Amino acid sequence: MIEVRDLVKVFDTRGHVVRAVDNVTTQVAKGEVLVVIGPSGSGKSTFLRCLNGLEEFDSGSVSIDGLQLADPKTDVNAYRREVGMVFQHFNLFPHMTVLENLCLAQKVVRKRGKKEREAKALALLEKVGIAQKANEFPSRLSGGQQQRVAIARALAMEPKVMLFDEPTSALDPEMVGEVLDVMKTLALEGMTMVCVTHEMGFAREVADRVLFFDHGKLLEDAAPAQFFDAPKDPRAQAFLRQVL
Amino acid sequence: MKQKKAQWPWHLLTVLVLVGLAGALYYATSLMSYEWRWNRVPQYFVYQAEESQRASDISTVSELVRKGDVAEVTLRNDEGNEQHLTVAENSLQVAKGDDVAEGDVVGVTRHWAAGPLLWGLWTTLWLSVVSGVLGLLIGLATGLCRLSNNPTLRDLSTIYVELVRGTPLLVQIFIFYFFIGTVLNLSREFAGIAALSLFTGAYVAEIIRAGVQSIARGQNEAARSLGLSAGQSMRHVVLPQAFKRVLPPLAGQFISLVKDTSLVSVIAITELLKSGREVITTSFSPFEILFCVAGLYLLINLPLSKIASRLERRLAQSD
Repeated sequence: MIEVRDLVKVFDTRGHVVRAVDNVTTQVAKGEVLVVIGPSGSGKSTFLRCLNGLEEFDSGSVSIDGLQLADPKTDVNAYRREVGMVFQHFNLFPHMTVLENLCLAQKVVRKRGKKEREAKALALLEKVGIAQKANEFPSRLSGGQQQRVAIARALAMEPKVMLFDEPTSALDPEMVGEVLDVMKTLALEGMTMVCVTHEMGFAREVADRVLFFDHGKLLEDAAPAQFFDAPKDPRAQAFLRQVL
Repeated sequence: MKQKKAQWPWHLLTVLVLVGLAGALYYATSLMSYEWRWNRVPQYFVYQAEESQRASDISTVSELVRKGDVAEVTLRNDEGNEQHLTVAENSLQVAKGDDVAEGDVVGVTRHWAAGPLLWGLWTTLWLSVVSGVLGLLIGLATGLCRLSNNPTLRDLSTIYVELVRGTPLLVQIFIFYFFIGTVLNLSREFAGIAALSLFTGAYVAEIIRAGVQSIARGQNEAARSLGLSAGQSMRHVVLPQAFKRVLPPLAGQFISLVKDTSLVSVIAITELLKSGREVITTSFSPFEILFCVAGLYLLINLPLSKIASRLERRLAQSD
């Protein structure tokens, strides 16, 4: 479903060149759950952001269902409709209620009627377990609740793929579970997911494949059981010794 | 532990300081033997305008009926045609049976009319509103151009902002009136409004730009990741949040604008300050009139800042 070929992203800040994503090739099948792990600064978030064009890459190609992201003829807004994204810092719209957060893109982008979009929004809030907060402003919600709203907001667009960029890193430890539960449910329902995370338990339990990044390079691509029990790459071995 | 201290002695002190200042001012003016004549002021706000009623032909006063404070006069000429006039009773110039010539004043009618200060206030108000609205629109467009990816838009808007902010408003008004106004044959009001709104627009542009830039990048990214276009994201996500943040400086800019309209008096637009100065030449009461003019500016600006802080509080409900 997602095809990534020879993806390169270079950051050049005043002559200081960093190859954030260095020649990465991989693909994600429909319904597959990919977990991307690696030390901080390894380019895993940049890789994820390249998948929906939030980061413009320097060379290579990314496509979803054959739609090329780098092709000038591709409408990037139409492309992004099919790719939901969840951010580390939630990025809910603070001037809108939870319900309005879920309805905005449905109204502006999908042109859904008021009844339809509100019904969809309430159903999704029900699903992530915060239907009673529909008319609250995001600032009144806990971190875990905000992140669940953010997931519901992305789902409201009925995306084909969901990208998660360290969705639990900014949460209090006690709230990590509720967000991971929502993600597990999604995975079980057959959503295609790419998750950048530090939650090794989640990776081991839910992932179909684990990608290990360091210095922008994709060093290991394996099933979780194999990756956690017998990593081949020495950097991956060192990393796992640190975190496990 | 925090101690609760009474606040009222301090408020009392404030009042005492103000009273002291007012007393000192009074003493200072008494030294220069200035004669305060506040009773002359109200007539420059509203006054009873008089309109003379004249006979239209050589005729005789055939009838005269007094009804309270008005008098109804009927004039009859040689052909027997009648002219009816209603005038103020105490201004009556004729008695029954008098002969009047064509154009003779029979009496006057009186009605309330707005004086020069009120007209000046009105001119200042509409100048401010029109220039404010135009300035906001120009500023919004320029502010967005400053953030544009297009180098031409960015350069042009930067040049505009720097030119306008780097030159005095007074000079701009003169240039608009004497140069551009002459070349394009503009009226003085048009030149004044153009100068004021372009001046305000430059400052509003910088306020808007700062406001938009202060919104976290993640907000735009979240909107774009949902499939909103750059324009939709700006319109629905970034600008509403930026507007809330820039409301206090924006209100300050509009208050400045109201005061800056006093500068267009130099191109002979009779706004509040110019009417005040005209009144001074006829009343010989410069201090009273200038205090009144200052008070009238306050009368516009105090409600303006009140409205702004109200709006600010209403927008803060999502915090």
